[in-house]
Amino acid sequence: MTSTWITTRAWLLMLPLLIVMVAVIGWPLVDTVRLSFTDAKLVGTQGSFVGLDNYVKVLSGSNFQRTLITTFWFAALSVSLEMIIGVLAALLLNQQFYGRSILRALMILPWALPTVVNATLWRLIYNPEYGALNAMLLKFGLIDSYRSWLGEPGTALASLIVADCWKNFPLVALIALAALQAVPRDITAASMVDGAGAWSRFRFVIMPYLAGPLMVALVLRTIEAFKVFDIIWVMTRGGPANSTRTLSILVYQEAFSFQRAGSGASLALIVTLLVTVLAVAYAALIRKSAGTS
Amino acid sequence: MSALELVNVHKRFGAVETLKGIDLSLASGEFLVLLGPSGCGKSTLLNIIAGLAEATGGDVRIGNRSVTGVHPKNRDIAMVFQSYALYPNMSVARNIGFGLEMRNVPAAERKQAVEKAAKILQIENLLDRKPSELSGGQRQRVAIGRALVRDPQIFLFDEPLSNLDAKLRMEMRTELKRLHQMLGTTIVYVTHDQIEAMTLATRIAVMRNGQIEQLATPDEIYNRPATRYVASFVGSPPMNMLDARVADGVAYVDGSPGGIPLPREFRDNAASARDVIIGIRPESLTLASRDGGLAIEAEVDVVELTGPELVVTSTIGNQRLTASLPPKTRIAVGATQRFDVDASALHIFDKATGQRIQRVSGAG
Repeated sequence: MTSTWITTRAWLLMLPLLIVMVAVIGWPLVDTVRLSFTDAKLVGTQGSFVGLDNYVKVLSGSNFQRTLITTFWFAALSVSLEMIIGVLAALLLNQQFYGRSILRALMILPWALPTVVNATLWRLIYNPEYGALNAMLLKFGLIDSYRSWLGEPGTALASLIVADCWKNFPLVALIALAALQAVPRDITAASMVDGAGAWSRFRFVIMPYLAGPLMVALVLRTIEAFKVFDIIWVMTRGGPANSTRTLSILVYQEAFSFQRAGSGASLALIVTLLVTVLAVAYAALIRKSAGTS
Repeated sequence: MSALELVNVHKRFGAVETLKGIDLSLASGEFLVLLGPSGCGKSTLLNIIAGLAEATGGDVRIGNRSVTGVHPKNRDIAMVFQSYALYPNMSVARNIGFGLEMRNVPAAERKQAVEKAAKILQIENLLDRKPSELSGGQRQRVAIGRALVRDPQIFLFDEPLSNLDAKLRMEMRTELKRLHQMLGTTIVYVTHDQIEAMTLATRIAVMRNGQIEQLATPDEIYNRPATRYVASFVGSPPMNMLDARVADGVAYVDGSPGGIPLPREFRDNAASARDVIIGIRPESLTLASRDGGLAIEAEVDVVELTGPELVVTSTIGNQRLTASLPPKTRIAVGATQRFDVDASALHIFDKATGQRIQRVSGAG
């Protein structure tokens, strides 16, 4: 068999998949790029070429800037909380205690739930008339009367972040737990004999084992948090007063609610670019940390 | 002053009792080896001394202070693990100095101590490397350095050489012996390797099923094993154990036509007719040069030259007899051979209890 035949055959075998990929990923992307340079509406006009108009309008508009800030806060706060709670949960579940395996299984539950179910669940908890949160806080005397957690711009984003954390910390915990179980027993024993207390042991001995896997979790979660759509859409639809409107919500509103396909496409591409930059930066970080450990 | 004292130490995992009352006292500067097969409880005992496991009952005293319930870091011990247990993210220097760092020893003092330990272990040139850049032997030296630098009351070693290849193991064994002679430290050392135990220990505790079967010097363990178990565990090739019956001062080995007249000093204790095990070390057998004396006949089965010795395996009925002979001995496979037995090296054990039957008088 000649090497050209081997190469040709390889390409032939890959062809069906390549066609599918071009059809479902390549073409829509190319068409989005094309759309972003037009003033097309979702229904009706094909639109005409407008150059960079969409981009200029989007980037200079206050909507985009405000949404970007909201997205940043949502991503930064929810991901940091998830990382902290996730690692703490993993440390707890790595201890020997009665009922540990049941607790481990239970912990997966929020993550295994569909986001829509989770979002609906939290909407019930936050409900201003019969929500469990209101009842609990009132009982403990922390509030005087029931509040609309999702209905006030001051608390809506924070409430969303809590709901998102509850759903996603198990992923971090799971990854951290797997990493913790890879820490050799002798190493922790040695550090105990060496005199390391709980914090030093975590900081100097256990953390190096956690760093790599946690970095992967951080990348995955940040990118996902940046793209967040479903949980917000179900819980607040970006409101009240756009206080929980993230980039993906903005893209949706622009393209589908306001039917402006052209500027929606340009927004979508900007979000894609931002996420890509994040992903590349993180990948470089991971490579760097892998190289040093 | 005793550096370490174990008083009736028990350990139970659920229904399984892994340590059934261990008592021992260790003087300062002693090198105690806990020897036994896997599952005998020796590592559990070491972990209890270290504080990495709690005893279910009894007391551990280090330097005349009860350390039951005391955290490992406050026990004034250092430990070397089988897996070396070096911190992979830290340099060799930091690995060695980590115990001091955790005890807030000033950096300058720490550096000095690390360099001193590194010099003793001849790893000064490795101080900046990471553990992953070291060979097994070097890692083990770092692990020992980490213990050394702390200057603790007791060093604990958990099978430290078993991850090394045979040649390196021998080198490190000598190194450890040298260190012990040089520093005069108190060491508790766990191993299943009888050669390590014999060469390193000032005393050996042979363990079996959670109990100490015999606690004695290597010489005594080898030459006066207290039980059949100890006798068969120490020595390579292992001691021959022949089923026999004693009557009127003569031992009749099963399958052998003649009897072995027992030396006089055994006769009183082994006088009455009883079933015994006769233990003969392979190196106590020689080719018979004359008639009479203590001798035993066997049919030569396999002859193996190991280099320094000729290992001859023979059969007596369905029992096996191994002899270590000088390498140039000429011996024919299939022939019936008469072996002389060194009377002073004869061991007799009660078949029912496995206990050694003592000689009435005289040493040996």
